[in-house]
Amino acid sequence: MNILRSLVVLAVTGLLSVASYADETCMSPYMAKIQGQEDFVYVWTLGVPGVGDEQDKLVTVDVNPESANYGKVIASLSVGGRNEAHHTGLTDDRRYLWASGLDTSKIFIFDVHTDPAKPSLHKTITDFVAKSGGVVGPHTNYALPGRMMLTGLSNNRDHGGRTALVEYTNAGEYVATHWMPTGDNLQGAEKSGQYADGYGYDVRVLPRKNLMLTSSFTGWNNYMMNMGAMMADPEAMKAFGNTMVVWDMHARQPRKILDVPGSPLEIRCAWSPEHDYCFTSTALTSKVWLVYLDEEGQWQAKAVGDIGDAAKIPLPVDISIANDDTRLWVNTWNDGMTRLFDISDPHNARQIYEKKIGTQVNMVSQSWDGKRVYYTSSLLANWDKTEPAGPDLQYIKVYDWDGKALQPAFAIDFLAEKLGAPHQMRFGAHSLYGSKADIASR
Amino acid sequence: MTNVGAALLGMLLLVAGAHASTGATVLAPGYGQLAFTPPAAGSYSLPALGDAVDGRVLDRDARQWHLHDVLDGKLVLMGFIYTHCPDVNGCPLASYVMKQVQERLVNDAQLRDQVRLISLSFDPDLDTPEAMKAYSRHFRREDFDWRFLTTNSETDLLPILQGYGQFRQKVYDEDGSYAGSMSHLLRVYLIDRDKQIRNIYSAGFLHADTVVNDLRTLLLTQD
Repeated sequence: MNILRSLVVLAVTGLLSVASYADETCMSPYMAKIQGQEDFVYVWTLGVPGVGDEQDKLVTVDVNPESANYGKVIASLSVGGRNEAHHTGLTDDRRYLWASGLDTSKIFIFDVHTDPAKPSLHKTITDFVAKSGGVVGPHTNYALPGRMMLTGLSNNRDHGGRTALVEYTNAGEYVATHWMPTGDNLQGAEKSGQYADGYGYDVRVLPRKNLMLTSSFTGWNNYMMNMGAMMADPEAMKAFGNTMVVWDMHARQPRKILDVPGSPLEIRCAWSPEHDYCFTSTALTSKVWLVYLDEEGQWQAKAVGDIGDAAKIPLPVDISIANDDTRLWVNTWNDGMTRLFDISDPHNARQIYEKKIGTQVNMVSQSWDGKRVYYTSSLLANWDKTEPAGPDLQYIKVYDWDGKALQPAFAIDFLAEKLGAPHQMRFGAHSLYGSKADIASR
Repeated sequence: MTNVGAALLGMLLLVAGAHASTGATVLAPGYGQLAFTPPAAGSYSLPALGDAVDGRVLDRDARQWHLHDVLDGKLVLMGFIYTHCPDVNGCPLASYVMKQVQERLVNDAQLRDQVRLISLSFDPDLDTPEAMKAYSRHFRREDFDWRFLTTNSETDLLPILQGYGQFRQKVYDEDGSYAGSMSHLLRVYLIDRDKQIRNIYSAGFLHADTVVNDLRTLLLTQD
């Protein structure tokens, strides 16, 4: 065990100050990453009425097969109420985990370095809306050097989809708000197609190309609405994003608005320094999209693959890219399927494997080497399915990937364990901090 | 010219050696040509990211200073390093890029007297003032304002690291002894005349072109 841990320490040490590429393959590219065996998964979990204490909570699961607690919940930290717990992100030094709530716009900052096996609540940001000038629904928490870039989903004027990026220091101090460009205020950006909706969802960067890329979902009015009611409301269904925005990352200024119809959600950029492109999936049109640099050096977007049968509304949600840029996991929430795409040719994404994970499946995270794949179920409190009851409804499921098939490792039923509805996963490891670490903040 | 040549040769050997030892390590963008045209100086803002904290430091002649007195109302580029850092994309990158910045500014009448470079060690055990002086000879021009600092002790150092949010972790051997290397996230800080941090660069973001551009932006927007 000591030897194993030392190897992991070395792997981490060698990359901490490198352009450290990190779920390990889905995070900020300039963050310390766990190249060996992860010890923990931190699961940001929605409180569910009638389940346990009914509060949102950070659940820590031991995932190291050498641990006596392997496959067990070893810590659960409730935050007092429900916030529409959704996404989380680690700071660049990986000492803190930011977890945001789409309804209350609260941001909970957990200390995950003092005791990686038992995170503690370090700080709660409660004035996000006021400080940001009216942004609602903090979603992605994305690490930049010494600071966090948060995407919003909505605003406090009409609770629609117009929103902004909001920047904070790692210490949790507000820095700036960067509004998404709209048709009536392009902010100097080029409207390259028919849309300039000002909506937001995810953000990723390619620093060497000075690219910051955002995607678009829908506002508070929709994501807090009952899903059936929303789908039956034609006006509500019009209020989804159809754009991605290319930003000058250094200047934090929008440069080009790309048409990507049907709500492009998660963004994953390629790892190779030779690969100047990123992927997303569109929730409503069920396609894989590529954003890439063309031969003239211009950023373009195009659909490069179909995800299931769009007529059956599989609803693509989370995606996860392999560290060698050859594979992309794509989850479809509505049918509970995970699908693996060959993206070796990024302009032609081909599905090569699929497996049903549960009644519904949302998030997917993989270890850096791609050998372990983690799934959780929950999408949004008012959209989640509630039947059939059983272990396939709200869960974390862990699989080993042997290159051909997913083999079950363990699963936890989050309703049976009285925890709630699990959403975003992030990995932790003792090796990041070292039991003998001389950490400056101690 | 001889000094510059020797320093460049040393830098190349350092980079080549580290590159060879790390196998497939991809060199950080700061070692090559910038792959994009940076936004025009003054066309963007650099909002404050907090106070550049004070602390007790030693210069390369072992004189004690308050860090705030070293900042001294200048535009400052400050990088945390340790001299025996083996990671080509870590401290050597910081020193390499700061050297590039020095070369750009030394003949820039507008900026050269406005800017101070600081390399501050986070290993007081091994980086004595003498060690910093020896290290500085590889990088510092006699006609440019680049300070090489260390601290007297961990007691003096830790509040500075805490204040700047600079994570650093000593690496230990199996027998528990300090291996002489540290894992850390490379950070270089841009500090304005009012001792406010205005940008933070890590390995993927640090490049002389963008740093000089940011210095010009501060000059254009602050005075």
